[in-house]
Amino acid sequence: MAERHRADLLISCLHGRYPELIPTLQEEIERRGLTGEVGVVEAGCRGLCAMGPVMLIKPGGLFYTNVQPADVPELVEETLIKGRAVERLAYKEPVTHQSVCYYEDIPFYSKQVRHVMHDCGMIDPQSIEEYIAVGGYQALSKALTTMTPKEIIEEVKKSGLRGRGGAGFSTGWKWEATRQSAGDVRYAIANGDEGDPGAFMNRSLMEGDPHAIIEGMVIGAYAIGNVRNAYIYVRDEYPLAVSNLNIALEQAREYGLLGEDILGTGFDLDIKVVRGAGAFVCGESSALMQSVEGKVGEPRPKHYHATERGLWGQPTALNNVETWANIPLIINKGAEWFASFGTENSKGTKTFCLAGQIQNTGLIEVPMGITLREVIYDIGGGIPGGRELKAVQTGGPSGGCIPASLLDLPVDYDSLVEAGSMMGSGGMIVMDDRTCMVDIARYFLEFLKEESCGKCSPCREGIRAMLEILTRITEGQGKMADLETLETLAKTVQTASLCGLGKSAPNPVISTLRHFRDEYVAHIEDKKCPAGVCKALIEYYIIEDKCLGCGLCRRKCPQGAISGEKKEVHVIDPALCIKCGICRDVCKFDAVGVR
Amino acid sequence: MATLIIDGQEVHAEEGQTVLEVARANGFEIPTLCYHPQLEPYGACRLCIVEVIRRGRSRLETSCTYPARDGLVIKTKSPPVIEARAVILGLLLSRCPNVPVIQELALEYGITEPPFPVEDPEEKCILCGLCVRTCHELVKADVLNFSQRGIERRVGPPFLEKTRQCIGCGACTIVCPTGAIEIVLEQAGIYKEKPLGPTAAIWVPSLQAVPRVPVIDTDACIRFRQNDRTEGEIADACGVCQMVCEAGAINFDQQDEVVEVDVGTVIVATGFQMWDPAQLSQYSYGKSPNIITGMEFEHLSNAGGITSGEILLADGRKPEQVAIIHCVGSRDHNAHEYCSRICCMYSLKQAHLVRDKTDAAVYEFYMDMRAFGKGYEEFYERVQEEGVVMIRGRGAEVEVLPDGKLRVKGEDANLGRLVYVDVDMVVLSTAIEAPHDANQVAALFGLSRSVDGFFAEAHPKMRPVETNTGGVFLAGAAQAPKDVPDTVAHAGAAASMALALMDQGEVTISPAVAVVDEELCSGCKTCISLCPYTAISFIEEDNVARVNEALCKGCGTCVAACPAGAIEALHFTDEQIVAQIEGVLAWV
Repeated sequence: MAERHRADLLISCLHGRYPELIPTLQEEIERRGLTGEVGVVEAGCRGLCAMGPVMLIKPGGLFYTNVQPADVPELVEETLIKGRAVERLAYKEPVTHQSVCYYEDIPFYSKQVRHVMHDCGMIDPQSIEEYIAVGGYQALSKALTTMTPKEIIEEVKKSGLRGRGGAGFSTGWKWEATRQSAGDVRYAIANGDEGDPGAFMNRSLMEGDPHAIIEGMVIGAYAIGNVRNAYIYVRDEYPLAVSNLNIALEQAREYGLLGEDILGTGFDLDIKVVRGAGAFVCGESSALMQSVEGKVGEPRPKHYHATERGLWGQPTALNNVETWANIPLIINKGAEWFASFGTENSKGTKTFCLAGQIQNTGLIEVPMGITLREVIYDIGGGIPGGRELKAVQTGGPSGGCIPASLLDLPVDYDSLVEAGSMMGSGGMIVMDDRTCMVDIARYFLEFLKEESCGKCSPCREGIRAMLEILTRITEGQGKMADLETLETLAKTVQTASLCGLGKSAPNPVISTLRHFRDEYVAHIEDKKCPAGVCKALIEYYIIEDKCLGCGLCRRKCPQGAISGEKKEVHVIDPALCIKCGICRDVCKFDAVGVR
Repeated sequence: MATLIIDGQEVHAEEGQTVLEVARANGFEIPTLCYHPQLEPYGACRLCIVEVIRRGRSRLETSCTYPARDGLVIKTKSPPVIEARAVILGLLLSRCPNVPVIQELALEYGITEPPFPVEDPEEKCILCGLCVRTCHELVKADVLNFSQRGIERRVGPPFLEKTRQCIGCGACTIVCPTGAIEIVLEQAGIYKEKPLGPTAAIWVPSLQAVPRVPVIDTDACIRFRQNDRTEGEIADACGVCQMVCEAGAINFDQQDEVVEVDVGTVIVATGFQMWDPAQLSQYSYGKSPNIITGMEFEHLSNAGGITSGEILLADGRKPEQVAIIHCVGSRDHNAHEYCSRICCMYSLKQAHLVRDKTDAAVYEFYMDMRAFGKGYEEFYERVQEEGVVMIRGRGAEVEVLPDGKLRVKGEDANLGRLVYVDVDMVVLSTAIEAPHDANQVAALFGLSRSVDGFFAEAHPKMRPVETNTGGVFLAGAAQAPKDVPDTVAHAGAAASMALALMDQGEVTISPAVAVVDEELCSGCKTCISLCPYTAISFIEEDNVARVNEALCKGCGTCVAACPAGAIEALHFTDEQIVAQIEGVLAWV
């Protein structure tokens, strides 16, 4: 059993930056004679990546950000011995610069609805006792001992839970279809192959609360029937997720919650972790199953749904790890409770990763239907430097860009698709007015070009062709006819590709063309990049009125392209300038302009 | 049975069929590049997309993978289908601008120029995966696979290195639709006797034979080779021929069998084999695909051959100059000294065929024109009139020029000086020679062979079809090089000799035969190996040698050789010979 302490220090979001933080804390606690009274736990993700490492002190809920080893003596002295908060380490409100000492008061958290991530960062993910202590495996026991498989499926259907991997297929229906497919052997798979750049929801969940996924899978396997083996597919770039999941699986086996005769009910199930090599396409269901089977991770035609012929040709229920982690909640609290969050057709909560030009980069969980405005301004703290929001990219590289004009769009499956994007697994990249949308489309296609498996010709060749056109446009070589070609190509790649990767690959192009066509036209006709990003189309210059002649830019310029006497207006020599933008970044007076 | 509507027409599908199979069976044209009826559908090229309307929803789907479900409405040529195919073909043409198959398909959809040009216009592979799947599913060698991703995707063996796993079956080169795979033969060998180089393991050895039966070359057949290589571990490799043979005529278990027949006479008509011109390096045979033997020319020119009788170079062009070199391996102290007799006339015939079928200039390098038969000289004159250039003098050397042209050098004896001519194709009129296993046949029937290797007749003038072994006759080129009329005449003579013998029912043999005194025979078996007529056999149970009187010719070899003095030649016993010697000496 876990030891009981007067206080527990939960450390999260180390990001490998201060490996000595926890040992330093432990030494200090020992030195001050607090051993046995105060526990130190490395917990899972608290979501506030931008301010890590963070420390939550329980009970009480004191919350410190940016904790460094040097802060340890003061922290122990003030908080643990004298019982006072160290205000210096408290969360600072980005706009008002007010210090907020308590976890519940921080707007970043208070506006969120953390269900799936509730225990993430609150318990030690490597301890099954802590998971059980917060109510873990109750749902499993309830489902296996008091519910029939059909009742479980009905409950899940009634909850309105839809796949959290992005496509949004009803989980209950999927389970039912799998259950109804003939087969003595069926499989359940959890997809943890999160490959979108800037997305780490699944990773945080697998690292921070692995038992929730396992519990959901055992319940699902029981409900689907004839499932004796289940797999959790995790990319090998997530070593901590792999090890925490394996520890959790071992513990569950020890406790009789996995393996033969689970909880004495006669139900058998084993779950294995399968490590993927990190190909983006392996997040696609058919490619993922090929990979689990030990073959090259390559999509196969899906005229038969996986619920009919999936892994090794057997009926298979494949769900995102977040979907699985929602199951214990639904069983414990009921479908009505779950459905009370969200919108008409998108129920429950969803995790998102906030990245890009936003104050509070990190992981959040919000009810479906929340507006983008609330997410970005209330939870995310707005755009740094008071800049203007231009667009939000959702759904990963194959999602789309939603313009700032649609800021009041509710975040749910159907609204996002309508706006030309998609839910995806929950990446949300915020872009300010210094982002060029043509360049963004080019960037995502560059990523997709690398990650396309190359099996089918429209995706493989089409992405290359679109990328070449986009590159040409960003280099000022575009023609107006290119836009039409892009649209034709995008349409064919969308309709004729083999798998979801190809079918959604043109989304960045289609959505930017739809919402930001004028930027394309500016690149082509005026040979200008309005956001000042595309190097071939811009020129850096010194704004004479603002330049005080401090010489900082002159000293920092790697090319020696800036000249000027002290206290005189400086000049940039366009012939030498490589448009790296360092001068603009370093100028304290905003005296470097782009045109 | 499912019912579908394809382009407005109602069609029926059997269980398990795909939309493509049903459409093609009913005459609808759908282009494909990655599809092969004997392989699992793959759905990579996406050219076979059609519009599928199901439950009111219309989508583009690949027909090669889509199951022909009941109630589907399929459109194979609707505007979205045509548009998507055109874009895909544009993309493929951009990848492989110089591949004829892609060029032709693209042209059908109105695309003449690659819309998105790439840096490397020499790319031929469209990554359809036919080779990979053939290697995996049929050959079961698993040598080829994909590496890398996306636009970098490549086909090749592991690490793109040479691998011993490759059995060199060539199946990948045959299925490749764009000719992107080349097999480099490290050991010429298995294809040596095939018409014009590598081909499938099933071939028709004699194109005009009736019935025209193909054979499986078990040395080249993937199934047999995989079986041998893995000692039966992969017993189910390939088998495509069996799958497609509608007559069910292919049986892999059939074995060669030995048939024993009791006969009264034997006619040996084992024929000849073509001499291999690679033995004399000056002819450069094997260094250019356009240096071929007369026999290969016959395969090429045959209406049932791979070019349907057209005379073409290896790259498919028509030749502009052809040289025919006589006496390759014949009348040559470095090969065969004899004249092969048939070459002059078949060379003239081939010259005539080249003139007849192409506009090529023909040069014949000959030493003497041996037009000895009826009408032959007249044919020689006719060929000369057709404009064939006759150069009297042995073609001495063939040189492969860097541009692929072939330079034939020789001496024009009439002009008395060295000449050369640059041509596109060289036909070597190679010698014929005794089959390589003639010695085994000779040993079997107790035949002797003349210096040239052919079987020796009993007497060159008086007994041209008989051999020294009673009841064994020779027919045709087994005895000596012959043309067709001579062979027919010779064979007719052999047949009548054999019939005459059989008609008698029994034969009178010479009384002068050897007998073994079994009391004296020590069973040393010396005589058995010496007997040229295989007339002596060893009787195990009695431990003695015994002479078959019907076979024995009374030559006396065994008599002289027997260490125990146990064999006597009847009528030529030692006593009789001594008496004869004494009688003769009495005259002196």
